[in-house]
Amino acid sequence: MKCGEGIEARQVNELFINIDPIQAGGRLTGDAIKAIIAYGDGYSVCDNCRKPNRLDCIAKPPIDTFHKDVARWLNMDEARMMPGARRGFQAVAHTYVEKGDPVLLTSLSHYTEFLAVEGARGVPCEIPADAGHIVTPDAAAAKIEETKKKFGKAPVLALIDQVDYQYGNLHDIAGIAKVARQYDVPVLCNGAYTVGTMPVDGKALGVDFVVGSGHKSMASPAPSGVLAATAERAKEIFRTTAIEGDVTGRKFGVKEPELMGCTLMGATLVGMMASFPYVKERVKHFNRELENNRIVMESLLSIEGTKILSEYPRKHTLTRVDTTASFDRVATTHKKKGFYFSSALNDRGIFGLIPGATRVWKFNTYGTTAKQARYLADAFVAVATENGLAIKK
Amino acid sequence: MNLVSKRSADLIFSATYLLTDLRMILRETAPGHELDERQRAEAARLLENLERQVNSLKQEMLR
Repeated sequence: MKCGEGIEARQVNELFINIDPIQAGGRLTGDAIKAIIAYGDGYSVCDNCRKPNRLDCIAKPPIDTFHKDVARWLNMDEARMMPGARRGFQAVAHTYVEKGDPVLLTSLSHYTEFLAVEGARGVPCEIPADAGHIVTPDAAAAKIEETKKKFGKAPVLALIDQVDYQYGNLHDIAGIAKVARQYDVPVLCNGAYTVGTMPVDGKALGVDFVVGSGHKSMASPAPSGVLAATAERAKEIFRTTAIEGDVTGRKFGVKEPELMGCTLMGATLVGMMASFPYVKERVKHFNRELENNRIVMESLLSIEGTKILSEYPRKHTLTRVDTTASFDRVATTHKKKGFYFSSALNDRGIFGLIPGATRVWKFNTYGTTAKQARYLADAFVAVATENGLAIKK
Repeated sequence: MNLVSKRSADLIFSATYLLTDLRMILRETAPGHELDERQRAEAARLLENLERQVNSLKQEMLR
């Protein structure tokens, strides 16, 4: 079925259980789909834009209230919606980092955090994760000291992932922020995998900024995200324009340069807004998600040779496993080689594994029902059994 | 505003939204789509309502 010339109608989430590590938390709610249908036209949210002519001030639909609600929900003072978490990193880096400035990242940081630093011409200083792939406050302190010696000053900014994309491990943001504060380093908490999936309290974490991803974790269309700040930092990051045309003398009111005026318009924004009541509710039930992950994880670990590379027990549903000694052994002799694995899962209505991957791979059970989690668990064991792998009792 | 046209637009949105609710049932029950009693009752309600919306739309648009 086509939805446009050459564009296949995507039915992945109707036909499969989707465990793609980056897609699970971004699947839309029914209300988001309905909102997109109604607000798909370009400037659809601008019908009632009145002075001061800025996106976050529009009252109909209630975009102004939504911005305040999101800030309150994250226990921060102000928030702006962004076209993706990465644009949040970029805005913050652009505000605080100058050429040659050291910026604290981690050995598990997402590439877009590096690009944000690069764009601001800063220098990345990675806090190394420990052997268990956890970034600790002690390691942060050591890196700051090392940076001070090397650069003659502390990092000007720290971008720390609350849950990293590689292992899905939960890092002690509050502890790291406490250390950073001792050196007056502003901290951005990258909540791309947490904001919208589990409770996030910016003030309790002691951070200056919380960044979330709408399309990764807030049941929203892409590209969407949120940048929230404390009142003190909001004055800096959400500063208004001061520029003036030299010929026309034009000024641009309350537009915010880091946001290039208005950021997230139309269907993406209204999709986020429509999902928000559900997102607020679902974070309260993160334990259910962990329970579903446990069902699948126990099943995978029952397959002889399978190892988990993420911290265990799991504190997040994004999980990295090593099946070199199980599913990959089959791949060496199977006629489809490594592709047998994703193919067998696809045949069972499971989507999201990289085709051909049988060694180290990731999956995310977020948003599955308990019934779907049990189905997944049984499917992994069934694929193992039919390929002669032993199951531990 | 032409109230007849407004009614047609409302019916189109309403029908599309009912289909969206059905779509969500598909998502919730993938991949087997074996509906439990609650889901079956909900699907039946949505489909009946959808039929009513489509019939009304026929009357509005094809008059």
